[in-house]
Amino acid sequence: MSMSAERDDELQDELLRRVVDELRRPVRLDPTLDLRVLRAIREPAPARPARPWLRPAWVAAALAAGVMIAVGLQSRDRPSSSPTTVASPAATPFAESTRPVYLRLDAPASSRVSVVGDFNDWDPSATPLSPTGDRGVWTVELRLKPGRYHYTFLIDGRRWAGDPSEPRAPESDFGAPVSVLTVS
Amino acid sequence: MRLLGLLLLFLLPGSLAGQDRRLAERLDSSTAAAVQRVVDSASRGGLPTEPLVQKALEGSTLGAPGDRIESAVIALHGQLARAREALGGAADEAELTAAAGALRAGLPSAALRRLQALRSGRPLVVPIAVLTDLVSEGVPPEEATRSVLDLARNGRPDDDFVALRREVQTRRRGPGGPLDRPPLQPAPDPPPDR
Repeated sequence: MSMSAERDDELQDELLRRVVDELRRPVRLDPTLDLRVLRAIREPAPARPARPWLRPAWVAAALAAGVMIAVGLQSRDRPSSSPTTVASPAATPFAESTRPVYLRLDAPASSRVSVVGDFNDWDPSATPLSPTGDRGVWTVELRLKPGRYHYTFLIDGRRWAGDPSEPRAPESDFGAPVSVLTVS
Repeated sequence: MRLLGLLLLFLLPGSLAGQDRRLAERLDSSTAAAVQRVVDSASRGGLPTEPLVQKALEGSTLGAPGDRIESAVIALHGQLARAREALGGAADEAELTAAAGALRAGLPSAALRRLQALRSGRPLVVPIAVLTDLVSEGVPPEEATRSVLDLARNGRPDDDFVALRREVQTRRRGPGGPLDRPPLQPAPDPPPDR
């Protein structure tokens, strides 16, 4: 070890000794300290000026914004008018409250089939069916909450077809065959 | 507070702050405005509005003229109001929609009230929907009501109601049954190719 290093160690030891001695000295408190502390606790706290960001109007606005954001996020669960296939269970925000529903249609010699209904804003481009291995059979899986839904199939973009496996809606208002689906 | 009001107006969804975006996009302006008035009336009366919007969108997609769409939405509004009268304030949107369909099918409000009493707080959507479906399949309303009320009286689960409907449907649509009909029916007015 060099002379310089030994000198540094001695200085550090001396400093450490002084610190320890200071900490070991008994602390003398003002005998009136306890009394002053207790009095201060009993006194009412002075009114602090309201911070601008804690004013009730701003708090209400923040709460309202939070509610609106939540409503906005929830409304995304409603099918949009954009051309998308009905979401798979993993992609659905409320997947735990929905049920899988399989729709099937025999439509031989058709090039495309879609389904429109209460569950997709009656958008012909929203929910296409896929051809299966069986000739002329088209299927799609939906995820729906319990309820009663109206729907119909659109074949090749020009022919409506009710679902032969479900009841016909008594409230078909517009001429096309509309079926009803009950999800339990 | 003025700032708060402006903020709320800005953030409110379109259906509350003005016209439902879907109506404006899918209907002509006159029909959209007429339907929106019905939707607003339903909202003020505590009735569900989404079934009304869906009815209008259905009419739009199926190529119905505006006045027919408006009539259908007004009729549905009336059925929802009657459904609310029958089931009371505790009924949710799905139950009211199902009940409106039942009333439309010709079932009496009293049948819905009896069903509600027998279910004692359990969801009503499936029993009401099955009751409506049975009538739609051609079962006389009195017979359909009796069958569904029997299931409700015995505390049977929803799946049993669906099973009843399947059984009736199979029987009536089977070979020689009263509803043995071709599965596909072309619409009289094909929609435009979108």
